[in-house]
Amino acid sequence: MPTFINESPRSAHPLSERAAEWVIAADARDRVGDRAAEVWQYRQILWFFSLKALRTLYSKTHLGVWWIFLRTLIPLLVGSFVYGSVMNIASGGVPYLVFFLAGQVPWSCFDGPLVRGSRGLEINRQLLVKLYVPRIILPLGGMTPGLVEPAIVGVVLLCTLAYYRINEGIWYVSSDPRPLVAVAAMVLVLAFTFSVTLFTSVWQARARDARFVLRYVVGFWVFFTPVIYPLSQVPAELRWLMHLNPLTAPVETFKWAVLPGLEHSWAWLCYTAAITVVMFLAGVRFFMRAESETMDKI
Amino acid sequence: MNGRWEVSPQSPGVAATIGEVWQHRGLLRFVGDRALRKTYRRTVLGWLWLFINPLFPLALRALVFGALLGVGSDGLPYFLFLLAGTVVWEVFSTSVMWGTRSLEMNRDLYGQVYHPRAILPFGNMTPSMLNLALKIGIFALALAYYTVRDDRVYLRGDWGLLLAVGALLLAFLFALALSFFTSIWGEKTRDMRFALGGFMGVWYLLTPVMYPLSQVPAEYQGWMLLNPLAIIVETFKWGLFGVGAFYGDAFAGTALGVLLLLLGGLTYFTRREARVVAER
Repeated sequence: MPTFINESPRSAHPLSERAAEWVIAADARDRVGDRAAEVWQYRQILWFFSLKALRTLYSKTHLGVWWIFLRTLIPLLVGSFVYGSVMNIASGGVPYLVFFLAGQVPWSCFDGPLVRGSRGLEINRQLLVKLYVPRIILPLGGMTPGLVEPAIVGVVLLCTLAYYRINEGIWYVSSDPRPLVAVAAMVLVLAFTFSVTLFTSVWQARARDARFVLRYVVGFWVFFTPVIYPLSQVPAELRWLMHLNPLTAPVETFKWAVLPGLEHSWAWLCYTAAITVVMFLAGVRFFMRAESETMDKI
Repeated sequence: MNGRWEVSPQSPGVAATIGEVWQHRGLLRFVGDRALRKTYRRTVLGWLWLFINPLFPLALRALVFGALLGVGSDGLPYFLFLLAGTVVWEVFSTSVMWGTRSLEMNRDLYGQVYHPRAILPFGNMTPSMLNLALKIGIFALALAYYTVRDDRVYLRGDWGLLLAVGALLLAFLFALALSFFTSIWGEKTRDMRFALGGFMGVWYLLTPVMYPLSQVPAEYQGWMLLNPLAIIVETFKWGLFGVGAFYGDAFAGTALGVLLLLLGGLTYFTRREARVVAER
């Protein structure tokens, strides 16, 4: 049983006008439900960490906020040119740029948030020894700036669709678009990402090369996910293999919900949802067990 | 040098700097060793990284772009094609990354031992040279495998090989020239390194490594040739295998440009180094 010396949550409440009551007690909140309640109590701290992480996105750069746009947009445009115009990768009947952007929206819900969330514990090391916060808030707060990228890509996708509507007179959109399904697919990706972050943030606080490994794995994961190419490009007998990657189904579902003439599979989406739930439960367990032990070391 | 100590201000000028670097060339090994140690220190996988690093991405890209998506490769086996392009690209990109970090990484040396600072970007590129040696080993193995399998000699055995070596050298010099600028800029802010990472990713896509230049739509080919790395990579592949095209004028122009940039970089570096070191 780990024992901490704690402040009472109430005294940490930044806007509290009540006199601070100090409680020094062994930490008995070992059950998941209690932990969840605790996170809720500390939600303003979560807000604080999110804002802090958001600001680090562009602070100390000369271009400021524009930097975020450039860094998101240029790789997208160049990638679309190289994959679409030079390599002539198939795009299932829509212009490659539209296809590519539609894949990038759900993918960027994974890519950026994972890398940033995993740094949550590591970069707030200094703060952790000074005050108590539920540690789980840190990876969660770190993920928040990652939401900026999907938003930018989404807006660019809408602009591109409008551009093709005006120039070619065609809406490259599904005949009955399903915005709710698209949002649900994104939320599923985010939930999966958070579950993974519960593991990776602890690893990264412990060992330095976790960062390199993570960057590698994420850099290659995109090749196993139908983002730059359609799933139909993969031989039919190997598609189940692609679907074992939990990100394949939500990406496909997102594209199905937005673009015309595509198919997707609810069954594999349920598989992803199941994986996410299992990963989340295992992740919370792992995180809770590891936090006290890891915190002593960093 | 004959047993007397001389305390004098640092000799100014590019020529003097080059002479000084040559005098202190013994330090190169020391700086290189430091760079290698610093990278793999405190990592669980340690030196294994050195091997995973070049192999894994190559195999994966070959699988996805060569086997799955069928990207063209000028008639070569895709893996061999990709490997040749990657050798040149990585000499450039990893050297720039390491060169950029050279001043920042060796900060603690400033006060301890005198060395011409210009030796740092150069010496810090040792890990990338090690990477190159590994890649050349892999390349030789792959070449032998494909030559036996297809019963066809892919490598051309004439003076083109010299041209390929020249292209490789040029890629390295280009990296060195850029590092003279970026290491000074990167000394102040670590952000420089991250920005450079993103920039390199885009540059990689625009350089014909994963695809041949001939596959670029005709109206964009002229634009692609504005990228010096595109010319260097294409020349390397042409020199090795005789595939693609050799742009003689463009290659000569690139070589000249790189040499000028190298001189400019060295001048900039020697003017700024004192200030950067003093501000620490």
